Amino acid sequence: LESNPTVTHYKQYPPNTSKVYSYFECREKKTEPTKLRKVKYDKTVFYGLQYILHRYLKGQVVTREKIQEAKEVYREHFQDDVFNEKGWNYILEKYNGHLPIEIKAVPEGSVIPRGNVLFTVVSTDPECYWLTNWVETILVQIWYPITVATNSREQKKILAKYLMETSGSLEGLEYKLHDFGYRGVSSQETAGIGASAHLVNFKGTDTVAGICVIKKYYGTKDPVPGFSVPAAEHSTITAWGKDHEKDAFEHIIKQFPSVPVSIVSDSYDIYNACEKIWGEDLRGLIEMRSADAPLVVRPDSGNPLDTVLKVLEILGKKFPLVENSKGYKVLPPYIRVIQGDGVDINTLQEIVEGMKEHRWSIENIAFGSGGALLQKLTRDLLNCSFKCSYVVTNGLGVNVFKDPVADPNKRSKKGRLSLHRTPSGDFVTLEEGKGDLEEYGEDLLHTVFRNGKIVKTYTFDEVRDNAKLKESELEDLLL
Amino acid sequence: MMAAQDFNFLLATDSYKITHYKQYPPNVSKVYSYFECRRKKGAQFNEVVFFGLQYLLKKYLAGPVVTEEKIQQAKVFYQMHFKQAVFDEEGWRKVLEKYDGRLPIRIKAVPEGKIIPRGNVLFTVENTDPDFFWLTNYIETMLVQMWYPITVATISREFKKILAKHLKATTGSLEGLDIKLHDFGYRGVSSQESAALGGAAHLVNFCSTDTVAGLLMAQQYYGCPMAGFSIPAAEHSTIISWGKSREKDAFECLLDQFPSGPVAVVSDSYDIFKACKHIWGDKLKERVMERSEDSALIIRPDSGDPAQTLLEVLKILEECFGSSLNSIGYKVLPSYLRIIQGDGIDLNSINEILEKLRDEGWSAENVFFGCGSALLQKINRDTLNCAFKCSYVEANGRGMDVCKQPVTDPSKGSKRGRLSLRRNSDGFIETVERGAGKPEEDMLVTVFENGTILQEYTLDEIRKAAQLWEEDVSPSQHNKEDSTTLEIHQKCIMNGVH
Repeated sequence: LESNPTVTHYKQYPPNTSKVYSYFECREKKTEPTKLRKVKYDKTVFYGLQYILHRYLKGQVVTREKIQEAKEVYREHFQDDVFNEKGWNYILEKYNGHLPIEIKAVPEGSVIPRGNVLFTVVSTDPECYWLTNWVETILVQIWYPITVATNSREQKKILAKYLMETSGSLEGLEYKLHDFGYRGVSSQETAGIGASAHLVNFKGTDTVAGICVIKKYYGTKDPVPGFSVPAAEHSTITAWGKDHEKDAFEHIIKQFPSVPVSIVSDSYDIYNACEKIWGEDLRGLIEMRSADAPLVVRPDSGNPLDTVLKVLEILGKKFPLVENSKGYKVLPPYIRVIQGDGVDINTLQEIVEGMKEHRWSIENIAFGSGGALLQKLTRDLLNCSFKCSYVVTNGLGVNVFKDPVADPNKRSKKGRLSLHRTPSGDFVTLEEGKGDLEEYGEDLLHTVFRNGKIVKTYTFDEVRDNAKLKESELEDLLL
Repeated sequence: MMAAQDFNFLLATDSYKITHYKQYPPNVSKVYSYFECRRKKGAQFNEVVFFGLQYLLKKYLAGPVVTEEKIQQAKVFYQMHFKQAVFDEEGWRKVLEKYDGRLPIRIKAVPEGKIIPRGNVLFTVENTDPDFFWLTNYIETMLVQMWYPITVATISREFKKILAKHLKATTGSLEGLDIKLHDFGYRGVSSQESAALGGAAHLVNFCSTDTVAGLLMAQQYYGCPMAGFSIPAAEHSTIISWGKSREKDAFECLLDQFPSGPVAVVSDSYDIFKACKHIWGDKLKERVMERSEDSALIIRPDSGDPAQTLLEVLKILEECFGSSLNSIGYKVLPSYLRIIQGDGIDLNSINEILEKLRDEGWSAENVFFGCGSALLQKINRDTLNCAFKCSYVEANGRGMDVCKQPVTDPSKGSKRGRLSLRRNSDGFIETVERGAGKPEEDMLVTVFENGTILQEYTLDEIRKAAQLWEEDVSPSQHNKEDSTTLEIHQKCIMNGVH
């Protein structure tokens, strides 16, 4: 009952409106100067609706007490009686507090080009026409999991390209971008949603909350969908004192002899740590480690590309390099690097490109990303928008839309919508109910929610399957 | 006050922290850490509003947060997540046995609402029992999320400074300042919980919002029954559902439905300028003029360049309805007519818009602003460089000041030793390091100890502490030629004593 701005809308629709039909899309931005954005985000990953349905929309969402509470809150908030008490009581009485709306959506994990309908919402009871846009605020928050999953997948494409080019295989791709974002998001709930969205594409995470969301709202066949390794933080190094960095390092690698262990090495001087401590004092201990249990050196400050290159150079002088089948340099399997500072989609591209130029294989490195992965995103990145496209008033269906003169990008779609595949395999959104003509075959939007019940769900495995990189995408990347 | 029952505190941390109890030096008995918004050269914001800790304490940290069930759940989970047994089951069981599941931690913090210059300690965390040295940084992940309410409250206050400056300059007073910036951010934020927390943080400085969750947060965690207000408003669907040829009917319906209070009507569905000129300014002109100052029509543009659109709209409305001059000589629309600009607003654009309005002779009283993502989402931990770092440990009965000092980035250096916050003899706030601070001068207050919240603040108190100062409001202080003023202002925000 907390979706405020729509509180007064039930009074604003035309009289005798019996149906309001709205849809959600990631609008295309046709007139955007592409030089401002290096990454185009042509397609989006649809993800996160199931969480919202389970958590906020299914079952009995109103009770007499909640209606009373809302009435009082809104009376104070508006200093007036504008709350639609009658409308909510109707829902309580007729539907036992279940929402009489129907939501049709593209399967979760689907990768769909911008500018297509992703889900539609319509009221199923003429008395509740106002409900469609009441749920807008809550549903539009799907922008977040969609955007995290999409941005994460675009980074996967970058990593896939350079990994393939510099090593000839995609082995380990799913662990190349680790989620470090738990502390940098705005709340516990955001952490859960965002981290789960990243796990659509990858398997490495430190944001435990994401795994909980997946287990609770999606389910996987494996016990957990995400993994981590022991790792140091600055406090576990600095607590030993400035003159004891080597003791700290030694202690920690000995604590974890048979699994990978990541050790942050820039508390005082990353280059000295790499050259003197890892490269000399503790070299013997590192060489003893197996390929399954490498030491992963972690720089955490300075210009990301410069630091990575310099660290690789120093380690390359201290440890015996090999040249792989593609002619790129690889550190011995018992030592690797993870760059977890300042990583976003742009710096990621810069670093892997820089490494390639200097003949370093991407096998050597993994990345961690925090704020850029889970927080530095807004609804504007993919222009996520929810708009009314069709109403029934006085028994007549009317296609409606907005078309502001000052911004053609903000124009919305008209009428009832459906999503189809063309014979050539592209996606197309049909407007104005044209999907009924069956020219393009079945509607890809499936009913997932009706009158308070979730009628179709996806497992996280299905989501991952739908979102995986396609052969054709990989081919395009390597051109 | 007890923390959420179904929330498993043991799972609310970065995975790697599970492994840290094995990494500290032997015989460590205390880990002491602190939180600050680091100073950064050339940073846009010099001071921050401290807000939000009480929410975290009440929701997640207070009372018994450990149960045997949660320990078991965590154990099973981490076994699968790390593919090995690395979870410190014994350590957590000790919390359960010794303290009934309450956290043996002490947190000292600046009072909420206080305005503190960057680069100062804002809160400290330490274990109160030597067995639990590992707990201090286990809760870092959760506590660092303080960056969010601090940053929203700070940005919101920066908006307030800009609005105050222009309001004072074009009307001579600050009347209505606290409803000048309306929170439109609910849909553009990443989750319901963030909406609540961000919404509440905005309400530290303003009292107009559409983010209802923020009101409920303020009520539940900060003792304010109703922290913010709103007005009936249209959205595009309630206009376009009438059909393109019936925009006037849609507008009229709104005037009819809400005759006795302000009502905001989005007017750009098709053509904002025609809507203002032909519908509001002509077909419905009389209906508009019937309204009083208390039931003003507030026209809402929602596309196009904000400043240009506003100026054009003002021009059209002036032609249709006239304008008068206020006591300072700036133009004001008739009191039944106002505008709200809720699209494309951020700190830069709002200043630009108000300056352009002023240049054209328009008073700031004519316009309200709505802000969505720039207020609640377009911020991150780097906006104010929020960080949590260990600064002091005790091992083998001896204390040691510690810090990081990366040669690759001096701005990432951290403070040393036990810290306190004080107002020095010049009246400026500074952090004293190395345990050299005098307890009686320390502004940090113990707010949490061993599972109990010891100090609470109400939103009223917080609002009072976060009020704007004279120098934020008076235009003369923004005179760049006055170097002494600037010097004093900068001294105010210098870092602490090393």
